[in-house]
Amino acid sequence: MIVLHRLVRLAVVLLVVTFLSYALLNLLPGDPVTQILGMSATEESRAQLRQQLGLDQPLLVRYLDWLGGLVTGDFGESYITRMSVGAELAERLPVTLELLVAAEVVALGLAVPLGMAAARRAGQPLDQALTALSFALLSTPVFVLGVLLILVFAVTWQVLPATGWTSLTTDLGWNLTSVILPAVTLGCGQLAVYSRLLRTDLIATLQEDYITLARARGLSPRRILWRHALRPSAISLITAIGLNLGALIGGTVIIETLFGLPGIGRLIVDSIFSRDYLTVQGGVVLISVGYVAVNFTVDLVYAAVDPRIRHA
Amino acid sequence: MRRRLGIGFWLAVGWIGLVLFAALLADVLPLARYDETLAGPPQSGPSLAHPLGTDGLGRDVLSRIVHGARVSLGVGVGAVLLGLLVGAPLGVLAGYRRKTADTVIMAVNDVAQAFPALVFALAVVAFAGASLRNVLIVLGVLGVPSWVRLIRGATLSFADREFVLAARVLGTRDRRILWREIVPNVSVPAASYAFIGMAVVVVAEGSLAFLGLSVQAPTPTWGGLINEGRTLMETAPHVVLAPSFVMFLTVLSFNLVGDRLRSLSDVRESGLEPVRQVALTPLPVPEHEVRDTLLQAEQLRCHFVTPRGVVKAVDGVSFTLERGRTLAVVGESGSGKSMLIRSILGLLPGTAVRGGKVYLSGDDLTARTPAEMRSVLGPRLGTVFQDPMTALNPVRTIGTQVTEPLRVHLGMGGKEARAEAIRLLASVGIPDPVRVLGRYPHQLSGGMRQRVTIAMALSCGPDVLFADEPTTALDVTIQDQVLRLLHQLREERDMAVVLVSHDLSVVARWADEVIVMYAGKVVERGPAAEVFARPRMPYTEALLQAAPRLTDPVHHRLREIPGRPPDLVDLPAGCAFLPRCPYAQERCGREAPPLVANGGHPYACWYPRSSDGTDRLVEGVESGGR
Repeated sequence: MIVLHRLVRLAVVLLVVTFLSYALLNLLPGDPVTQILGMSATEESRAQLRQQLGLDQPLLVRYLDWLGGLVTGDFGESYITRMSVGAELAERLPVTLELLVAAEVVALGLAVPLGMAAARRAGQPLDQALTALSFALLSTPVFVLGVLLILVFAVTWQVLPATGWTSLTTDLGWNLTSVILPAVTLGCGQLAVYSRLLRTDLIATLQEDYITLARARGLSPRRILWRHALRPSAISLITAIGLNLGALIGGTVIIETLFGLPGIGRLIVDSIFSRDYLTVQGGVVLISVGYVAVNFTVDLVYAAVDPRIRHA
Repeated sequence: MRRRLGIGFWLAVGWIGLVLFAALLADVLPLARYDETLAGPPQSGPSLAHPLGTDGLGRDVLSRIVHGARVSLGVGVGAVLLGLLVGAPLGVLAGYRRKTADTVIMAVNDVAQAFPALVFALAVVAFAGASLRNVLIVLGVLGVPSWVRLIRGATLSFADREFVLAARVLGTRDRRILWREIVPNVSVPAASYAFIGMAVVVVAEGSLAFLGLSVQAPTPTWGGLINEGRTLMETAPHVVLAPSFVMFLTVLSFNLVGDRLRSLSDVRESGLEPVRQVALTPLPVPEHEVRDTLLQAEQLRCHFVTPRGVVKAVDGVSFTLERGRTLAVVGESGSGKSMLIRSILGLLPGTAVRGGKVYLSGDDLTARTPAEMRSVLGPRLGTVFQDPMTALNPVRTIGTQVTEPLRVHLGMGGKEARAEAIRLLASVGIPDPVRVLGRYPHQLSGGMRQRVTIAMALSCGPDVLFADEPTTALDVTIQDQVLRLLHQLREERDMAVVLVSHDLSVVARWADEVIVMYAGKVVERGPAAEVFARPRMPYTEALLQAAPRLTDPVHHRLREIPGRPPDLVDLPAGCAFLPRCPYAQERCGREAPPLVANGGHPYACWYPRSSDGTDRLVEGVESGGR
């Protein structure tokens, strides 16, 4: 019942987001017809093309038409390239997904041990150093960090490629080398957020009676942290992962531009520059659906992590 | 309490001031023109004429950064003001007039979060034209939902406060309440968020500029400078490093100032405040003899170094305990009972300093490292805490928790540990132990949980069981069952039990010996029957009188000990019980009485009670005897 209620609410959110973005993109100045035919085209040929593309219809009609297609999985056909938007997105999606997963692996792989180390020694020099580091990372714009990493690893040491992409199916080794720098760049900001959240929650958990009692049973600090304290402290972390993953689907724009990756973000930027409305719109839908789906999944993960939620 | 803002805050303010100053006076400052090519040799490094070097076209990098600051800060200030002016009134309204506004706000929030803001910003700027005005408006509008959320939250926390409710009851007009009471209180979080918002906008503007979608050339922008500098990374890295560093410092400064302002109004620790480290000096241990007994504590101390001073939670406690006996530790809350247990076990918080010695069968436990201590905790010393609701890990099954010590300490395999766990649970009187193994703590009753924690404490066959108020959190009917169980297990296993309790009827019934604690010190000690029959210290007498009895008349007034436990930070020179003692005389304020035995059991009092006046009480306590 609650699941159904949430699904309805999510559907409404998606409907509003798609309509708003559709309307906004169409109301903004700039016209695909001009883009295709150029400034010098006659009014007649413009009108003809407009009719051909269905742009003479009222906004609401066009939106409903597009929405109808979307429900059946048809993202429409680009006015500019005449290609299927769905196919284009499907081709780009794996790159962005791999980048996201790799970034989260980097972020969590470092944030969990660092958050634990900081929580165990709260207030001590190591904790203060990690606090300062997170604060610095949080204050570093992603493109600044990316440029610095390229400067160090690609230009000075020349151990990793600065730009370019090899797909996973072509060559696994090259694929991994091409994903390291973008993933680290994207992961560092998350790392700061995650390790802070985990630290705060762990400090609270470590005050609990059951942790003191675990110590009174002679269990090692390592065992207590990993087996006793981590899971009860993970709720905020999981929430943040959900929110970030959702937000990052759109946030990879910069990274993909900087590192020359053929992902969704790059596609959206290119489409914006070429006034390719339907492709931009398709990207927006993908991002919103991704965001909503991730956060829906997060609710299910809560139950897996905390049995009290499962049985409530 | 006024908090220090710290040197970091003022450095950050200084940097922001510097950047702002440079941006405002960019045209007046003695700098090369930002668009003057060949102001110096192209791609030259830092020099006197060009402190940050020149770019690929020989333009002065410093000048370009200073002019770029105009765009960054201009957009930042403008967008934050826009967000504030639109978002703050909406937020105050939503927080103050809750019902309808709340649903609307939540719905808008849902949509705003699922909306890809950066993509939207890119599209608008690309289509509507990349001008300062457009960038400013887009980033300002995108910030509105955050502002509404923040201000609504801040307003909510004040709209329910007494002074606002009082004003409402007095019939003060809403507008007046808003201006007089709410707006001033919301302004601190708003100011804090204004700085954090500046950081967000500066980064967002930089991102747009990096993609070529902010103010257009020739006007320099920080994001644009970094994007241009990228191409020269191999030959002239300073061109990209200089604006990167300036941008980082600026964003860092805004974040830092915002964070510190937030900590002014927020009681939660942000983790950024300086923590003062205290030098821990070990407490001295006096000469003593190691006795041939199961458990011996010698002059055990536990002090906490706090900003207010040293708190002596446990101050020189000594006792011995034999196998098969129960020692009760009694006293009011805060008398140091629980800290005594934790000092023995070595489970103190990091801020504590421990002194004195603890011997287990003559073996000095205080000399052990934490790792060495772990082989004793569990196998030789078992522990049960007061509240079974918090004593079990909520996310692990009973089975995992009960078998864990068996696997860790006794090296049992999965099957063997499970069989032993079933046996243990049955031995503490849990029906259907096989099923309970698969349960989570929240699925069991309080009494069942306490039985589980007892089973866990006993799992490795300890010699001493520490039970810190084991029944206080339980129903009266369950209390007796649990205590009976503890007693029975003590007999079966030939253990010793240290029972902490403030419930004297429990102590009188189950303990062999008792120590009475007050303000971290032992004030009376001896065989339980004797201490209760003939309390000498007025505090023990008062505790006994305060214990309710079944023989009391129905509407009998509960007796209590007048006054309150002393502040452990600055204890007076004399007897700590003096302010509450009806029998105190001049000497009590001068000298603290030592714990000495004058023919009977030891007590710490200059003017001890004789046995006469308490007979009636003892009868009452003992009427529930075993």
